[in-house]
Amino acid sequence: MPDVPPVPAAPPDAPTPALAPAPVLTHPPPAVPVVPEQHVEPRMSIQGLNFWYGAKHALKDISLDVRPNEVTAFIGPSGCGKSTLLRCLNRMNDLIAGTRTEGRVLLDGREVFAVDPVLLRRRVGMVFQKPNPFPKSIYQNVAWGARINGYSGNMDELVERALRQAALWDEVKDRLKENAYSLSGGQQQRLCVARALAVEPEVLLMDEPASALDPIATAKLEETILDLKKRYTVVIVTHNMQQAQRVADRTAFFYMGELIEMDRTEGIFTRPKKQQTEDYVTGRFG
Amino acid sequence: MAVYRPLDEALPALTNLLIRMSDLVADQFTEAVDALVRCDVALAAEVRRRDDEVDALELEVDRVAERVMALYQPVAGDLRALLISIKINTDLERIGDHAKNIAKDVEHVACAPGAIEATHLPEMADAVRKMLREAHEAFRGRDRALASRVMAYDREVDRLHKANFEALAAHILEHPENFVAAAHLLTASKSMERIADHAKNVARGVVFVMEGEDLRHLKLRTAADPLDGSPFADDDLA
Repeated sequence: MPDVPPVPAAPPDAPTPALAPAPVLTHPPPAVPVVPEQHVEPRMSIQGLNFWYGAKHALKDISLDVRPNEVTAFIGPSGCGKSTLLRCLNRMNDLIAGTRTEGRVLLDGREVFAVDPVLLRRRVGMVFQKPNPFPKSIYQNVAWGARINGYSGNMDELVERALRQAALWDEVKDRLKENAYSLSGGQQQRLCVARALAVEPEVLLMDEPASALDPIATAKLEETILDLKKRYTVVIVTHNMQQAQRVADRTAFFYMGELIEMDRTEGIFTRPKKQQTEDYVTGRFG
Repeated sequence: MAVYRPLDEALPALTNLLIRMSDLVADQFTEAVDALVRCDVALAAEVRRRDDEVDALELEVDRVAERVMALYQPVAGDLRALLISIKINTDLERIGDHAKNIAKDVEHVACAPGAIEATHLPEMADAVRKMLREAHEAFRGRDRALASRVMAYDREVDRLHKANFEALAAHILEHPENFVAAAHLLTASKSMERIADHAKNVARGVVFVMEGEDLRHLKLRTAADPLDGSPFADDDLA
């Protein structure tokens, strides 16, 4: 049996609680027999990644795998590096002056730094925190990316397909020529998802995609994410732990540029292995 | 920097309710056994009356637990603490019911004062009292070592219950006029054995909160399960 660490004493001026706080798990055994997971080749793999903004060492020796057709959530307090890491996956950090990257990021086993970044960003699409549709019609927002990437097929079909996948088609099919700004915030965000899907990516990166949305729009977006993983691999950065619980298959917790713990989401939120993870998910720090 | 968490008030408040309930049912058991041994029908009636207080606490604990779950959505260690509070609430209420049942047996035993001497009931009651007391302390202090001792005592209580059965069967053969009293003493022994089981559940709950180990139904675990050979294995594996 793992040793039980001593229970910390309460500070002298604090009201004495009835019970001492529960020690953290070290090697918790499963409560019920579990089926070992099948090995699958990761869709993306991060190996020994270090990243600097100038002299600031923002990501420290990160190694993790993103499994195909799963939703992987990055969680952690502000400034922990989760958005920085997300942007490493499609080299968006290349656009920031003074940054330096060491280590490897692989997409289907190929180093992303050996690929043209424009081509990479077509395969690894991104949706940002604040909906940012183009000042164009709904139709043009979706078609534009495919058009400039040389799409020569039936554009109407492509637009409809992308809007259906983003769960927006039924709401906009009769007004595709209207300006995208006429949509609500939640609809604009799903339009951005459709725009990313129109270039047929393999991976979709989402940086706090619901933080600007109301609860109903958030629920619709989350439902969309759960549907999207059937066809795509999704990585989502979120401050909302309940959102990670609802949509993510796997969750990675970061703190001060380091990966602290990564596990199936159920494990992170029921029996985290690290004290820092327990403290974060229970709200002892944020 | 410590962050204010409503759970840091809500969970201890819930636990304090359970500690009150644990104190109450321990008193109920002590008085029920005293009534049984002394054939004190008045004391037995008091035990039966006070069971309403145990039931009222059960309702309050459930209400508070529901509120905690709805408002604060606890996870990890906090979630385990809440789950165990709900389970221990049921265990304590059942202990109260069994104490009441022992009290109900008193009037039927009063007519055959010699029957109780044929049993190991006083010794069994001492063991059960010890289990209740130490389960209470293990829960209050998150004391895993104490919790493991409580679980080990349960085997002794089971042995004494079996001995009571054999002793009362022999007593009935020798004193058939005491058949009714003996039957109620056997019922009382069974109630004590069940109280011990509930005390063991409380102890298991302490381990679950502290380490996430669920010690129930160990026979369902696979051969590769790291809990095989656990000192907490019980007759589930027999």
